[in-house]
Amino acid sequence: MAESGWRFLDATMKVGQSITEALGDGSAPKGSHLPPYNGSPKVAEATADFANRLAVVAASNPIGAEWFLNSWNDVWDAASKSFAGIERRSLRQWMALSMQLPLSAGTLVSLFGLRTLHGAYVVGLEKLPDLIAFATEIWIDAELYTSLQYKTYVARLAGQVRQSPEDARLRLQLGHTYIKLGRFLEARSELAQAMRDSRLRAEALQESMVANYYAADYAQAVADGAAAMALKPLNKTRYWLWLAAQKAGGYPEEVPPASRMEVRVGRHPTQVRLENVAAQLGLNKTSAGRGTAVFDMDGDGYLDVVIASNHAGISLYRNNGDGTFTDASVGSGLEYCYDSFAIAVGDYNNDGWDDLYVTRQGFYPGESVLFRNNGDGTFTDVTRQAGVQSWGTAFCAQWVDYDRDGRLDLFVTRNQGRLADPGVPNRLFHNNGDGTFTDVTNEAGLSSVSPTIGCAWGDYDNDGYPDLFLSSGLGRAQLYHNNGDGTFTDVSRQAGIDEISLGFIALWCDYDNDGWLDLIQFVWSPEEDVLHTLIHGQRPANGHPLKLYHNNRDGTFTLVSQELGLDECWGTMCANVGDYNNDGWLDILLGNGAPPMDRTEPPILYEFQADGCGTGRRPGKFHNVSFAAGLPYTGKGHGANFADLAGDGRLCLIVADGGMYPGDLLTTLVCRPTTLPGNYLNVRLVGTRSNRNAIGARLKLKAGGRCQHRAVDGGSGFGCLPFEQHFGLGTFERIEALEILWPSGLKQQFRNLPVNNTIRITEGKSAWDEVYPRSQATRLAQKSDPEPAPELSAV
Amino acid sequence: MNSQQSAHPKQEIGGMVPEISLPLVQGGTGTLQGFLKGKKGLLVVFWSETCSHCLRYDSFLNEFPQRYPELGLVVIACRQGETAEEILATIAQRNLRFPILHDQDSRIARQWHTQQTPRVFLLDANRRLLYRGAIDNYRYPADPDYQAYLRPAIEAFLAGKPIERPETASFGCAVQSVYYQLPKPLARS
Repeated sequence: MAESGWRFLDATMKVGQSITEALGDGSAPKGSHLPPYNGSPKVAEATADFANRLAVVAASNPIGAEWFLNSWNDVWDAASKSFAGIERRSLRQWMALSMQLPLSAGTLVSLFGLRTLHGAYVVGLEKLPDLIAFATEIWIDAELYTSLQYKTYVARLAGQVRQSPEDARLRLQLGHTYIKLGRFLEARSELAQAMRDSRLRAEALQESMVANYYAADYAQAVADGAAAMALKPLNKTRYWLWLAAQKAGGYPEEVPPASRMEVRVGRHPTQVRLENVAAQLGLNKTSAGRGTAVFDMDGDGYLDVVIASNHAGISLYRNNGDGTFTDASVGSGLEYCYDSFAIAVGDYNNDGWDDLYVTRQGFYPGESVLFRNNGDGTFTDVTRQAGVQSWGTAFCAQWVDYDRDGRLDLFVTRNQGRLADPGVPNRLFHNNGDGTFTDVTNEAGLSSVSPTIGCAWGDYDNDGYPDLFLSSGLGRAQLYHNNGDGTFTDVSRQAGIDEISLGFIALWCDYDNDGWLDLIQFVWSPEEDVLHTLIHGQRPANGHPLKLYHNNRDGTFTLVSQELGLDECWGTMCANVGDYNNDGWLDILLGNGAPPMDRTEPPILYEFQADGCGTGRRPGKFHNVSFAAGLPYTGKGHGANFADLAGDGRLCLIVADGGMYPGDLLTTLVCRPTTLPGNYLNVRLVGTRSNRNAIGARLKLKAGGRCQHRAVDGGSGFGCLPFEQHFGLGTFERIEALEILWPSGLKQQFRNLPVNNTIRITEGKSAWDEVYPRSQATRLAQKSDPEPAPELSAV
Repeated sequence: MNSQQSAHPKQEIGGMVPEISLPLVQGGTGTLQGFLKGKKGLLVVFWSETCSHCLRYDSFLNEFPQRYPELGLVVIACRQGETAEEILATIAQRNLRFPILHDQDSRIARQWHTQQTPRVFLLDANRRLLYRGAIDNYRYPADPDYQAYLRPAIEAFLAGKPIERPETASFGCAVQSVYYQLPKPLARS
């Protein structure tokens, strides 16, 4: 009820805005996607920009009686900067402005209203203040740290500390800020001063423990943590104390049992042992990693890796042909693509070289880039000539051939914005076939604004056309059915997936191998819920685990996460599915965390075990095997990915770890099973009538009387999976059949395929070939098999 | 982003780096050849006065000439938008004792494929590139995971041995931001 009230208010404001905009002046550039270096020409965007700048000014000057005196210069400057692009030449423009300003301000109020309401619905009133404080700090810091404007802020704070050296709160704040900057030793001495104030002692000790942990003084970290626990037993402190104690060789005697803990999840037995091979493979770059993508950059058959990064360019790692990598970033043209977020791989011009679309900045405005792959290890920025400029906040991007014309189109989610956000729609770019794109968002009916972070394209009703799921950062999820004529219909409510949640990314996968795509929406949980899960082995009663929706095959979905054992709370920022133990069932990898320096979370691995313990019609259950398999306890996961990097059948789990603050010191995690956990077959598809990457193709593999289903995906979430489809075969040594339904509609069937191999299948061709050169003996053995006899039939 | 940025010839380990000439913040002009005079080699550090990572290496750089008298040292301030006045104020405030060249528009940083500070380049007397990358893995020396990268490279070079790891990945603060600068609210205080 309250929600519809706010929504009505929001809609009214927006209608008013568009009317007054039309009143103002037709000459103002409309729908400009170019960076507003000189201020946006739109009043709504300028107002939002002003509000964001104002928040930064407020944060850098403590609010008090003299706040306005101290800050009026800054406020005036922010206003003149934000509104610089607004035309104010004629009386008519001034009149329109006077009407638009209050409407724009009103829109922001309704935005905050809706956010608060949705936040309260998801986390409950009790945890709402914490969530608001967290979000506000992160949003303001994003402005300061992502743009590297922190220096003056820190200098100002340090100046204030010098003026009032006895103010413990200021010192605590300075220490907290130094930790964000990686200046841990200076943080420690500020916090030591702050500790003298008994009211702030517990908080300062907790921060000091974190600083000492990062500075590798684990004994002191344990001492600080134990002292903080004695004063104020918080779960956060308990967890950091446990982490520090792990590093220091266990809890010292003086830590009382009440301050101790054990991690009570992730211990379910598994057959697989994982080892961290990042350094061995040459992928252990220390950087604020974000999205990852695995693809064959240079056509040599071996999978290469790209990792996006905050504060830095994209790293490009070339596969040496044995699963180890050489950093080939320098000179590639990708190394100057700073602050990138997600990478989507797709051969948009069908020239045989996979191209990259890179979103920038996420919660912060930036310009996304389309890189054309030149095939020689270099990439050229073709954003402008291709017509895919998109200035603003942007998260996920996905390549999809939504109209099945054989050319990849592009979808970008971009309306989960800044603290004050003018609300910009997502974007669907149609591929014109000549290297250019046309923005068809409005024609397709996808221009509604809901705070979207993740998108997932998948054909849930098996009508041949990919449909679109949008995961909302703080709002209702949306499902759009593809009508097949270039338009979409919102079917969220009848499908039963329109819940409000703190959603992040989403993906389609057929977890139960029934031939119908199921949907997983990954959810970001507040820290307290995550700690509760770690410490108590179960989520808090009001916690929200990820949402797995089972496809009922009639256009509706049933939420089955709890039934399937997916009942824990994690701050999931990225995830992917892959059969890492080669048992024929997809497993789930989560990368978790949040920007604050004192929030660290393990990556989580859910293994699907078809052990008959599933309830109802479900074939099994997911079990958290993270620590039993050997994953670490800390992280800040982005860009989770599964890839057979060496081409030996062992899927590597890749999680790019990284944070928003310069002080975060995480390296990319790459874990690989120590031995081949089962037989496998890797299949790569090359489209001819379909798009070359065969995005949208469906595969059905029959082995041992059981079927496995896969869909080729164009990069949902922050980890863009390789196009290579990995089938785990367990102990089966024969594949009965592999059926491929190409996006063009062509159906092909292959029999007598080899196991433990990586093969390439070209659309319409009856013969397949091996991707990797093998030894002569293996090759000869292979030749003695009868020629594969494909069955071709057009549908 | 613009297309010129990727047009620079690829800089290879073992190859010769082109001479540069930049204004010296402390006055005058500096060239690589000038800093190499009478030295066996030269350490070039891309740096920024804003960068919180560079800060940690202040004493390392201040003491570098005493530690390695055979090597020259020059620092290039390359963060976009930093002024000579700001850099001079930082020199005074942090007692920095090394020469700083000013690459105001990050032009040289781009030519040297540098996106982040600090990033170091070790050259021999013929301006041949010996090592490129980070000083260490930014852990504290007490950390069991600590790894020094530059020190072993310098030691191998001075001992006339091949450098085992001539390239490491850099990390740190970006030399430019894709976002338009939050113009003055904070820069004026």
